Amino acid sequence: MRSAWAALIALALWQANGSAQAVDPATAFADDVHAAAGLTCTACHKAQGPGSYAAPARTAIAPLCATCHSDAGYMRRFDPQVRVDQFLQYQTSTHGRRMAAGETRVATCSDCHEAHGITRVRDARSPVAPLNVTMTCARCHGNPSIMKPLGRSAAPPTDWAASVHAAALLQRGDTSAPTCAACHGSHGATPPGVTSVANVCAQCHLRQAELFRASPKKDIFDAIGQPECLVCHNNHRIESPADHWVGVQEGAVCAQCHDASGDSAQAIGTIRQALDGLAASVAAADVSLARAERAGMLVDAGRLALRAAREQQVQARVLVHAFAAEPFNAAAAEGAASARRALDAGEAAFRELQVRRAGLGVATLLIIAFLITLWIKIRRLPDLPSS
Amino acid sequence: MHSHNTPSGRRSVLNWLLGLWGGGVCGAVLYPVARYLAPPEIPEAATQSVMAGSAESLAPNSARAVAFGSRPAIVIRTAAGDLRAFSATCTHLDCTVQYRPDLQRLWCACHNGQYDLNGRNVAGPPPRPLEAFDVNVKDDQIALSRRSG
Amino acid sequence: MRGVRAWLDERLAFSDVIDALRHKTVPHHRYSVWYYFGGMTLFLFGIQVGTGALLLLYYRPSAAEAYESVQFIVTRVPFGWLVRSIHAWSANLMVACAVAHLFSVLFLHAYRRPRELTWFSGVLLLLLTLAFGFTGYLLPWNEVSFFATRVGTDIAAAVPLMGRGIVRFMRGGDEVTGATLTRLFGFHVAVLPAIASGLVALHLLLVQRHGMSVPPSIERQAVHDPAAVRAMPFIPHFLLRDLFAWTIVLAVLAALSTFYPWELGTKADPFAPAPAGIRPEWYFLWAFESLKHVPPTIAGINGELIAVAVMGAGALAALLLPLLAGHTARARRAVVWVGAVALLFMALMTGLALSAAAP
Repeated sequence: MRSAWAALIALALWQANGSAQAVDPATAFADDVHAAAGLTCTACHKAQGPGSYAAPARTAIAPLCATCHSDAGYMRRFDPQVRVDQFLQYQTSTHGRRMAAGETRVATCSDCHEAHGITRVRDARSPVAPLNVTMTCARCHGNPSIMKPLGRSAAPPTDWAASVHAAALLQRGDTSAPTCAACHGSHGATPPGVTSVANVCAQCHLRQAELFRASPKKDIFDAIGQPECLVCHNNHRIESPADHWVGVQEGAVCAQCHDASGDSAQAIGTIRQALDGLAASVAAADVSLARAERAGMLVDAGRLALRAAREQQVQARVLVHAFAAEPFNAAAAEGAASARRALDAGEAAFRELQVRRAGLGVATLLIIAFLITLWIKIRRLPDLPSS
Repeated sequence: MHSHNTPSGRRSVLNWLLGLWGGGVCGAVLYPVARYLAPPEIPEAATQSVMAGSAESLAPNSARAVAFGSRPAIVIRTAAGDLRAFSATCTHLDCTVQYRPDLQRLWCACHNGQYDLNGRNVAGPPPRPLEAFDVNVKDDQIALSRRSG
Repeated sequence: MRGVRAWLDERLAFSDVIDALRHKTVPHHRYSVWYYFGGMTLFLFGIQVGTGALLLLYYRPSAAEAYESVQFIVTRVPFGWLVRSIHAWSANLMVACAVAHLFSVLFLHAYRRPRELTWFSGVLLLLLTLAFGFTGYLLPWNEVSFFATRVGTDIAAAVPLMGRGIVRFMRGGDEVTGATLTRLFGFHVAVLPAIASGLVALHLLLVQRHGMSVPPSIERQAVHDPAAVRAMPFIPHFLLRDLFAWTIVLAVLAALSTFYPWELGTKADPFAPAPAGIRPEWYFLWAFESLKHVPPTIAGINGELIAVAVMGAGALAALLLPLLAGHTARARRAVVWVGAVALLFMALMTGLALSAAAP
């Protein structure tokens, strides 16, 4: 599925290379919010002749939009709540700064919002609506022929497309999942600072952030100038974390800094063991319950316990971010206890099945004894008369 | 005295055996029927309603987790003293929510989602409110039931 | 004991019935083993009534509670799993027994005069058994039974003029809903049992009145070989053998219920799309499969309509068999051939349907 989205982004890039304005401006403007507000072509363009208008220079576009969109008094007429700091933010962004220095190959207002046919961000057709904005950024940032001359990598959009956030957004339609704008900002788009990106992660992953900040890691990471979440979880290609990331052997994430010699190696090892043990007991409980269900026994209480065990497993995995034995061990132990209850329920159901079969055995023996005796009695009955 | 080797003796032994095994078979049929007829521990399936413990022992600004059928539910006594009950399955990714007395909201630890005391999703990723249950108290026992319609 | 019996006899006057039974004989010949199938069907009917009554104590006939109540019976009620599985398995065995009984009566020509009424009531009883199976199948309100009921009632729509009305009658509306469940429940536990009890009583009375029929071939044989047919006393010979057969059926039911308990399935969701491979119970499969192979139109008329008409005609012919069949040996051979072809056809269609579903 993820490769399908990466392919889709590649397709968007191919299209972007081709058509700049596929639709006639006059037709597109019919859907525009500005048209609905009563503005016409001359609001932005200088007339050059009947039906012909000059396009503004690229460096002039943002200031042009800002003449209205930064005027709080003016904008209040159309939407009292609308923000008016977009241009200010743009000027602090990498796009804005480079455009001000004369580099016209960077984004300006009309590249993301379109020039004609501009719709609200919350309109599903808008190129900056949450479900579409990543494709819009990818038009340039995923295109090597645009990025290379500017000295940047074109990998981030494809990396993001392989992440859990992309899967949540594009496959499940979960608009709470972070897009490019969530971490980089939209108008103020800039690669986030080393210390600030974790604040963005913390908005949803609050528990992990709180635990991390209370842990010994925080000061260490600050001292070595490393971003909190990204060192282990990556920035764009954020994949589902796995239990085997914990450890000091080759390929484990902790091994980036830790080796088998320090004291921490023991703590890491204990945590890893507990995680593996918990995963194993949850899997074993699932197998036991499935076996009982296949045999026709119903094990609802066991399934409930397994659900609790899985939630406690999630809890334990979150508590890894405390990087200490204690709250983790308690959660792991609770999870193991729930998994044990689930396993017991499965085993009990299977035992009950054996009890039923034993009961059947007894009943069948009685029946067979009865049948044999009855058979003998039938044989012993007087013979039938011959006519 | 019976002689087991006379024809009538053999017949009566046979009949006696037949009666024995026959009685056994009848018992093997009647025993499950008798057990079946006696009402079980839990008299009915908890589909529409479930008991949620003592009302008095639930203090204001606290909550109690309860199983409703095979899904988790939560009963809350608000700071003002009234009882509310909701499905405890977060509408984002199915984690189990908990009550936060400091926020006076339902909170999901997985992605920091929050619901107010009407079950409405007010912060974070959850897309929909929590399903609300009707709460009734009888003889100090709290009973939760699904809302019909 | 003798005093009690005398007291009852004075009021109920049954001692001549007992005497008649004491002297009653049943013909014993090469094919008389087939006589037991009627009794086994009756035994299974009794089991259905008994287990059905037990299930009624805990079952709830509404869309909101039916599935959960069956789940409750199977998990929380002691031996509920056994009662439910026996009820389900016994239903299937009863259909099989009734069909075996019908075909044995057909092939042994027991429908002939003066047993025509016995045949009529028997065919109606078979149809009732199928109706019992159809109405009972929906009651657990699981996915499979919901869609099987929808498909099954859809077929009735093919009947001209009355089709729509028949479907609405069966479903309690235009679609299969909770109303269908309650309606079919009413049929299953009240209407059909009332009709069946009357028909069973009539059927047994007639069997008692006319005794067991001896096949024509045996009758002919008995002319020169008296040992071909012998008289077996009803009490105790036939009765004990009947008891033997019934006990084996009981053992089979217990074993099936323990090793192949009837599954609960998933609760029906009327708004979900039908899962692949929905089909009715095995005893309807031959009709279901035949309909699949019928071309869309035959000589300009809707193919399904023709197929349903043919099946209807077949059922009517089966019902009226004693009036349609001749008395000559040749006519009887024709009946045997027609019966064998019908049986083979149904078996073939059932086999086809089962093998299509298996992988």
